[in-house]
Amino acid sequence: MSDRRQSRRPIPRGRIYSIAVVAPVFALAFLLRPDAENLRAAGPANTGHEVLDCAQCHTTAEGTPRQQIQANVRFLLGMRTQGADFIHKPVTNVDCLACHQNPDDRHPVYRFNEPRFAKARAEFAPQNCVSCHTEHTGKRVTLEPTVCASCHAGLEIKEDPIAPSHAVLEAREAWSTCLSCHDFHGNHVQTTPVRLEDGASREAVLRYLAGGPAIYGDSVRFRAKTDRGDR
Amino acid sequence: MKRSAAVLTSLVLINLAIYLFVNAPPALPESTVAEGESVPVEEVLSTVAAENDIVRALYTQEIVGKGKLVGLAFQDDWREDGIQAGPLPALFLREAAQSLQRQSIPLGLYLGSDFPIAIANKFEGKQAQVFAALKETRKPAFFYAEDTGQYTAMFPDVAGVQGCVTCHNEHKDSPKSDWALNDVMGATTWSYDKAAMSRGEYLELVGAVRQSFRDAYTAYLEKVATFEEPPEIGEKWPDAGYKLPTADAFMAEFARRASAQTVDRLLAETAPPAAEGLR
Repeated sequence: MSDRRQSRRPIPRGRIYSIAVVAPVFALAFLLRPDAENLRAAGPANTGHEVLDCAQCHTTAEGTPRQQIQANVRFLLGMRTQGADFIHKPVTNVDCLACHQNPDDRHPVYRFNEPRFAKARAEFAPQNCVSCHTEHTGKRVTLEPTVCASCHAGLEIKEDPIAPSHAVLEAREAWSTCLSCHDFHGNHVQTTPVRLEDGASREAVLRYLAGGPAIYGDSVRFRAKTDRGDR
Repeated sequence: MKRSAAVLTSLVLINLAIYLFVNAPPALPESTVAEGESVPVEEVLSTVAAENDIVRALYTQEIVGKGKLVGLAFQDDWREDGIQAGPLPALFLREAAQSLQRQSIPLGLYLGSDFPIAIANKFEGKQAQVFAALKETRKPAFFYAEDTGQYTAMFPDVAGVQGCVTCHNEHKDSPKSDWALNDVMGATTWSYDKAAMSRGEYLELVGAVRQSFRDAYTAYLEKVATFEEPPEIGEKWPDAGYKLPTADAFMAEFARRASAQTVDRLLAETAPPAAEGLR
């Protein structure tokens, strides 16, 4: 036992320092390879985005990194009125809409910027695509399917054709049933069911939002682009 | 040891200062408005609202009104598959608003009322308050929406054509059926995210709004192309029969009606002081 202890030599400090410096450099070099984009991502791409390269959403910020650092330091020192984006611009609705163009969108994000939607904005920020479609979660929709209540509470429909009626569903606070029949963005070619039992089940809706199989049919009106084509 | 640490720290700071300030590449430009060159957002929104009034009157009177007389239809569900119809005037405006979004212009365009056909268009909160006052004054109202940071303007929509009144009174989902000519039926809301803009931005905005009108009309023509019996598309208008103007002809007529007024507004705001005597 004591011989063994004597035979264990301490690792030279210089070698530890060398490893501490070289290993991260190699790791960084590995991660920066173009084909290692997925390893650098904040999480799995959302449904349908698996085929996109990072630059489709993460566009390059203006200037060199040095210019950007300088602009931000000057901003912090009060030497300019605005900071600057660093490396990449923030991902905004503009980036989403570059590929997702639906001229007949039933809930276009811009409409939620109107003053009268203040309550909805305070509750779940529907004016931003990523409020419902938070990226790098591996899902299709990341919000609870009950937010319809924020705008549609008090709904009055003359000659309501559905069973049970919208008024009954609202009285039951069954807001999670809306998506069983209604496609939020209206991008699927479908006939809206008039009986709730003909719509998708709650389980099917939740599976769909989590990235599962389609519930409004496979035929879409406007297919999203895989190359935004504006850069 | 302490001395060497101080020297090392000093060297690092000196290098950092050189990196950041001395041996610097050109600074990134800031998107600010030069003093004396800014146009207030109220003027810009008034200009685009005036343009909107003209295109809306053109579409309502010359396309919808006269189109109906020769067999063209206009409906809420015009975009549905199999529907042989075009957008009602309010939906024409919606198309233009969608186009503005596609152009990534931070200009908001919305239509609402206290008695809308679609409940989603009913004014609430601040807009309802402003609209109540606007119905009395019949003048535009400007306010700042704090939660969105949007400079906002509401312009009264006055029933100027019998077709608007009749359609709103007879629509099955209309909550009000006694509209009359000259009533304030609603308001058009415009918003922008800056209190002022450069003259260049002003012109760019007017250009974007005109493009949105063209896109809205083009969307109608694209739908028309799917009709079982599409009307003739050319230089003629519905007052000459079952015909529609091309997008170019439509925009040319719009420009003829709108440009003089808009140019006057642009000159009033953008001409340098030395040219004031020329106004």
